[in-house]
Amino acid sequence: MEALTLLQLNQRIAALVVTPATQNVWVTAELSDVAVRGGHCYMELLQKDPASGRTLAKARAAIWANQFVSIRSGFYAATGQDFVSGLKVMVRICVSMHPVYGMSLVINAVNPDYTMGDLLRRRNEMIARLKAEGIFDMNHSLIPAEPILRVAVISAEGAAGYGDFMNQLANDPLRLRFVTKLFPAVMQGERTARSVMDALAAIEAEESRWDIVVIIRGGGATSDLLGFEDYDLAAAVARFPLPVMVGIGHERDVTILDYVACIRVKTPTAAAEWLIAKGKECIDRLNTLAREIVIAVSGYVSGCKEQLGAIEGRLPAMPGMVITRRSARLDRLAMGLQQLSSRALAPHVQRLDNLTLALRRTGSEITAPRRLVLERMSTALQGFAANAVATRRTRLDAMAQLLGALSPEATLRRGYSITRIDGHAVTDASAVVPGSVIHTTLANGTLVSRTQ
Amino acid sequence: MTPNFAPVSSLTYSQAVAEIEDILRMMQADTLDIDLLAAYTRRATELVAECRRRLTETDRELQTILNPQQ
Repeated sequence: MEALTLLQLNQRIAALVVTPATQNVWVTAELSDVAVRGGHCYMELLQKDPASGRTLAKARAAIWANQFVSIRSGFYAATGQDFVSGLKVMVRICVSMHPVYGMSLVINAVNPDYTMGDLLRRRNEMIARLKAEGIFDMNHSLIPAEPILRVAVISAEGAAGYGDFMNQLANDPLRLRFVTKLFPAVMQGERTARSVMDALAAIEAEESRWDIVVIIRGGGATSDLLGFEDYDLAAAVARFPLPVMVGIGHERDVTILDYVACIRVKTPTAAAEWLIAKGKECIDRLNTLAREIVIAVSGYVSGCKEQLGAIEGRLPAMPGMVITRRSARLDRLAMGLQQLSSRALAPHVQRLDNLTLALRRTGSEITAPRRLVLERMSTALQGFAANAVATRRTRLDAMAQLLGALSPEATLRRGYSITRIDGHAVTDASAVVPGSVIHTTLANGTLVSRTQ
Repeated sequence: MTPNFAPVSSLTYSQAVAEIEDILRMMQADTLDIDLLAAYTRRATELVAECRRRLTETDRELQTILNPQQ
């Protein structure tokens, strides 16, 4: 009996396996245990039961170095994902049978659209669920309390991204006093979600010490973000009481965390820049307020000065003006009073004048006839008096003539005389005492004689 | 005849200025009794001096507050 050599057997197997039916066929599978060695990429392809998660099929596969570079970059360009475990892929496979290394599936092309579609579908499912549970917007709508200076960092210890972040903060030109603490976590692979959630729990335990949580990774060439595409992690971030900032990818890398986190930046450096920019905003606002205070205050004070200056300018003249106006008013009043009183008196004066005039007229009217009468009477009286006097005088003349004839002188002339003693006429000679001096009055002259 | 004025130290700046303006208004409108003119003029002058003093004081204080390094 002739036996085959092992090589012959393997060659027979190879001849059976490597047929057109196994060459360049498109296969869908899930990636597992992806590893790059010597530029070649080795992996397990899996098919799991969607319901139970049980493995239904499994095969080793590889992408040779000569193809891996272009496949990887094309895949990354299209999906934003590195070629890593956990992804669902559509790959073009050639089954090969190596006499030494055995059968393997050699991948020579990848359809990134399939992966992309799968990722999107999964992410959309998660978003829909987060929204349905009402937590999707919770962290997103938090407003970080300013200033944001106390920063809890979730990152891998010693990771380049963490170093970038810390350097950037340290070189802050404004010298803001950031306080940071690293809560280390695994930032890639299957343990990522669990590890980051543990770190979040540790931060929540001392929540009051922190203003913000920053989840950063990256810096390296590989970009395995699949670990973040986890519903529980997304929910934990969405519900987290402090604002969460994620900076876990590069330009096109988007994870579910980017949808739920309060702030999304592209890189750790950008995370630090965001914090510095926020700090600068605070400082700028303070500076602006300070300037506004200065402007407002000096404006107010100079307004007061102006007002007071105007008052001081007006005040000294004011009382004098009051007095001037008042005295002018007094003058006006006095003049008015005068006018008023004279106007009020005028009719009375007029009436008095009229009365006086009338009185005078009336008086002369009354007296004139009387005067006439009087004058007539006076004239008459004078006439009468003169007549009466003349009559009397005539009569007196007649009587005087008569008297002349009867007078002592006439008697004396006829030879009679008058004898007087001591002035008394002597009519009785017996009454004369001898020796008396007697005066004898004759018609012409007097005799003085002494009796015997 | 002197009206009952509040002590100037008990007034705020605004109250003092308002009172000065009231007095000026009264003087302008000639509603002020001449008997009170001197009293009100003295009062207004006092108020102005007080306001001026406070303003200067505030100004100096503000310089200190706003330029603490100087």
